[in-house]
Amino acid sequence: MRRLLVSSDFRAGFAEMLPACVGLIPFGVVCGVGAAAAGASWAAALGMSAIIFSGAAQVLAGQLVAAGAPLAVIVLTCFVLGLRFLMYSAAMAPYLKSLPSRWQQALAFLLTDQAFAAAVRRFSVNDDPRRGALHFLGCGVALWVCWQATNLIGYFAGNLIPESWSLEFAVPLCFLALVAPLLRDAPTILAAVVAAGAVVLLGALPMNLNLIAAGIAGIIAGTCADLTRERWTRR
Amino acid sequence: MDAALKIWIVIGVVGLLNYLSRLSFIAVFARRRMPSLLARALKYVPAAMLTALIVPMITAEPSATHALAGHPKVFAAALAGVVAFFTRSNLATLGTGMAALWALQAIG
Repeated sequence: MRRLLVSSDFRAGFAEMLPACVGLIPFGVVCGVGAAAAGASWAAALGMSAIIFSGAAQVLAGQLVAAGAPLAVIVLTCFVLGLRFLMYSAAMAPYLKSLPSRWQQALAFLLTDQAFAAAVRRFSVNDDPRRGALHFLGCGVALWVCWQATNLIGYFAGNLIPESWSLEFAVPLCFLALVAPLLRDAPTILAAVVAAGAVVLLGALPMNLNLIAAGIAGIIAGTCADLTRERWTRR
Repeated sequence: MDAALKIWIVIGVVGLLNYLSRLSFIAVFARRRMPSLLARALKYVPAAMLTALIVPMITAEPSATHALAGHPKVFAAALAGVVAFFTRSNLATLGTGMAALWALQAIG
């Protein structure tokens, strides 16, 4: 443990995530507020942030629980949202394949949107797997600790924040920071446009089913556009 | 169903599914290559799913009295989206979006 904390790679990863942690403070606080609004106990709120460890899934689960959606709808919608981790996992796998399986299991738990982006940057300049793993662990631990703290603050102190601050707006802004930079090719733009249109058009569906329906419609549209584009360029 | 139990089931099942998705190609399918159609489809998960979450959050609760078509959040989010596109920075996106919303609410 001590050796870990003095490792320069671990500390570099930890320090690199501090600006991202600052940016996640309002998001974490809103997640804690959402857990309280969904009727979770403090232990359940901590369980959500510590075990699910995905702001988007927590916000979504909190909304769906508060709206009284059935368990199957909540699980299915969160599962589709979490499918992006399959992609991150596949992208990380080549760098982590030489590590002991305990390390792989630990690092996988810490795989989030922010840690993934940091790891991609890191491995593009230095692909030493052991040092990269320590760096990734540093990133993941910083994010995890910050996430638990901000969620608990939101759960216990969220009602002290004036409504006029519109802090809940931080959540779509954090998602925008992830999505907007992706909109650089036609299939991805189409996926986003179809999802946006579908979620509005299907707004009347019960149990927030419009979220998963729109997500799947967007994924299908993007995939079809991608396949069509490839066929065109092959000609 | 008991509400507290339901939340704990959600935590357990969603937590497990998230962990298995994260672990999938790092450990479980480490020796397999991802099917190409799946790889193609997964590229569009963040854009589609996150957009489906964003839109209702920024279009809900319009204020009819507002000068900018009653949708200050839409305008603030559009501005923040442009900043995100060019800077790829969470902090810059957050700062721009919140500042724009507060400014619009102050004049609205």
